[in-house]
Amino acid sequence: MDLESIPWMLILPFIIIQLILMLVAIIDLTRVSSTNGPKWLWALVIILGNLIGPIIYFIVGRRNE
Amino acid sequence: MNNFSVLFQKEWRENVRNFKILWIPLVFLLFGITEPLTNYYLPQILNAVGNMPEGTVFPFPEFTPEQIVMATVSQYQFIGMLVITLGFAGIISRERKNGNATFLYVRPISYASYVYSKFSMMCILVIGSIILGLLANLYYTNVLFGSVDIGAFIGFLGTYIVWLLFVVSVVLFSSAAFSTAIASVVSLALVLFFQFIDALLGAYWTISPWKIPMYAGYVLSGSVDKTPFTWSLVITLLLIVLLIFGAVYFAKRNISKTKI
Repeated sequence: MDLESIPWMLILPFIIIQLILMLVAIIDLTRVSSTNGPKWLWALVIILGNLIGPIIYFIVGRRNE
Repeated sequence: MNNFSVLFQKEWRENVRNFKILWIPLVFLLFGITEPLTNYYLPQILNAVGNMPEGTVFPFPEFTPEQIVMATVSQYQFIGMLVITLGFAGIISRERKNGNATFLYVRPISYASYVYSKFSMMCILVIGSIILGLLANLYYTNVLFGSVDIGAFIGFLGTYIVWLLFVVSVVLFSSAAFSTAIASVVSLALVLFFQFIDALLGAYWTISPWKIPMYAGYVLSGSVDKTPFTWSLVITLLLIVLLIFGAVYFAKRNISKTKI
């Protein structure tokens, strides 16, 4: 499949929102003082677990205190 | 009323600072977009990654636009409800635990406006994000599959919002009554597990709050049975009022559990 045939107008919003979500999670990770578990592990989870990663971080990893 | 606006500002600031105001809408938006896209491009996706032998032909079903919207809702019913219940389970109980509540309870605030400020913040976040997600979903469905009847969609949205109000008040009530861990289990059971039971054994009754999402789907496809639908709505609204009063009562009763 070549790049021309991909309908970028439809796919692009999806990619952009996902990147924003990842960015928000990373910014939050650098700002909080401590998380449940080591921070570098959460950074890996956020970056590698493309859609679910940031969600899991916000629900489980963040210590809301 | 002044009490309420101050407390509401506090809620707002808290949710801005912990990014909830950003990530919850984004999650629902993402799921709203994913569903029509994956359904539309399923043949291409399978071709690209599926390792199919040459010449395999799949009879892919033709989806109606309504089916795509309902598929998105069933996605929201599982992952969305998981996010809402786990994300908000600590909304009142956490404040008791980290001593925030001590600062509040020594002041002459009314517990009603305290609970209402939480309730309205949750409603804005949850219902706002789901409407946002469903509108994005409607746009994509419109582009890829065809148009949905707008009147039916508005009826569907109204019905679904009643269900969301029910979920929000369940979470609020359990958070007021129990500690964070128990509250998340109780609200998960009440929202997800009961829904599962209702799907299994629900043929024996027609009136229940857990049938509201199903009825919302019927409204969308224009084939709803009026009587059980109306009664379910009435019962759910009554339960919402009861749960909120219960939350106010338990918020008052659990003062002694605050950590100082």
